[in-house]
Amino acid sequence: MSALVELSGLEKTYATRTGDVHALSAVDLDISKGEFVAIVGPSGCGKTTLLKILAGLEDHTAGTASIGGHPIRTGNGDVGMVFQKATLLPWQDIAANVLLPLSLRRRPTSQDREKAAALLRMTDLEGFARKRPHELSGGMQQRAAICRALVHKPSLLLMDEPFGALDAMTRDSLNVEVNRIWRETGTTAVLITHSISEAVFLAERIFVMSARPGRIVDEITVPFDRERSLDLLGDPEFAALTSRIRTHFEVTHA
Amino acid sequence: MVGALAVLAVVLILWQILPGALNVPRYVIPPLSEVLVALTDPVAFPRYVQNAAATMTEVGLGLLIGVVLGLALAITLTQLPRVYGIVFPYIVAIESIPKVAIAPLFVIWFGFGLPSKVVVVVLLAFFPVLVNTIHGLRNVDRDLINLFRVNGASRMQIQVRLMIPAAMPQIFSGLELAVANAMIGAIVAEFVGAQQGLGVLILQAQGRMETPAVFALLIILSALGIFLNLFVRLARKWIITWERT
Ligand SMILES: Nc1ncnc2c1ncn2[C@@H]1O[C@H](COP(=O)(O)OP(=O)(O)O)[C@@H](O)[C@H]1O
Ligand SMILES: [Mg+2]
Repeated sequence: MSALVELSGLEKTYATRTGDVHALSAVDLDISKGEFVAIVGPSGCGKTTLLKILAGLEDHTAGTASIGGHPIRTGNGDVGMVFQKATLLPWQDIAANVLLPLSLRRRPTSQDREKAAALLRMTDLEGFARKRPHELSGGMQQRAAICRALVHKPSLLLMDEPFGALDAMTRDSLNVEVNRIWRETGTTAVLITHSISEAVFLAERIFVMSARPGRIVDEITVPFDRERSLDLLGDPEFAALTSRIRTHFEVTHA
Repeated sequence: MVGALAVLAVVLILWQILPGALNVPRYVIPPLSEVLVALTDPVAFPRYVQNAAATMTEVGLGLLIGVVLGLALAITLTQLPRVYGIVFPYIVAIESIPKVAIAPLFVIWFGFGLPSKVVVVVLLAFFPVLVNTIHGLRNVDRDLINLFRVNGASRMQIQVRLMIPAAMPQIFSGLELAVANAMIGAIVAEFVGAQQGLGVLILQAQGRMETPAVFALLIILSALGIFLNLFVRLARKWIITWERT
């Protein structure tokens, strides 16, 4: 297995007016090509910071970070991002929103449009290409945001608590969808979540982070098949894994 | 709409009846009919139109310059956080000065003609556009900016394809204020010293105690103000098609 993402000895300190904030400490982490990795940790532990470093949006203070063997650079077009809010442009229709990563680089070709249409089909949004974001439900908007993150075939899909703002039922169905998208596209995915069961449901490997400064305190390999269904939620092994992860937070919060 | 028109009709009827019924002197509040006679006076009307055109030229030119300057400075300042930090307190301070009070000074500097009026209008239109646009630009979702950056967007692309459209609602709020301010600025500047314009006509009519003419001029002024405001609100609806809740 070739490592797509390699982080070693990664440190991040934010200099603020009220002093330094040590956000990440000695983070070592490899992600293989095609792998689905989840990162869980308490709020404020540096998960978003880690993702921003992967996206090239934030510099790290020490250590090394590379994707595909190259140091991370902003805007090289090789990552797709999904945020907690759908962050679609309200003045453009869904098709134009999905095409954004491409249209920022060049005039979209008919092939590009076909790619966007295929993604919308895959996420059951076919009929909504000409609609504006406000005409879609929250879950549909987030699906469109996932299409946008994949349209330029990035080697890395980064998701920062993508379903945190949605209700539990929408969340479950989107999780099934993300699992299918991941299998069908073969993309490498990094999911940040503070839902432990979401992490276990989706990921092949889970990194548990400690409270700030964020360190990786546990790494769990999830033994389930690549294809996952909601039945998994009732599996005893699923319960065992979630409670193993949960113990970390009980300890840190004691 | 029907309700609003009904209210207007009642007000107009009362305006016609009450002054006579209550023995209000004509030079204080003339009945509506006399105002309408003054408004449609065949000798006066062409003068009204001419002077309204003069006032609207001041308003139009001043708005154009003020809005362009306000937008340009807002876009520049929000891209230079350092400069912004230094300049912003002054903007807030100047914003709270009643700027029409400077009009007499501008008449001294720029004379009784068009330039002094335009400068006053520019000053009054500029600040609401500046302040509201800054507000809009600074409140664009950080994640959207990050999304653009991740996808390799240039600074220009971020401005044109994200920041400016995202700030449109606030830009239009600024424009609405600018339009109202511009009318005030033009009239006050004309009061202070001018050769033409509706403000001049109002002062002249007041000097001759021709109260019906004063009211007629106020009606013209209000109509122009309402028209301008309507124009901006229609433009807003036309441009910001995504604002509906
Ligand atoms: N731009 C920044 N400047 C200063 N401090 C920051 C910045 N971004 C995040 N932080 C701080 O770094 C810590 C980690 O933040 P974050 O990565 O957002 O955590 P998480 O996503 O796990 O909730 C927090 O204490 C936060 O306040
Ligand atoms: Mg976060």
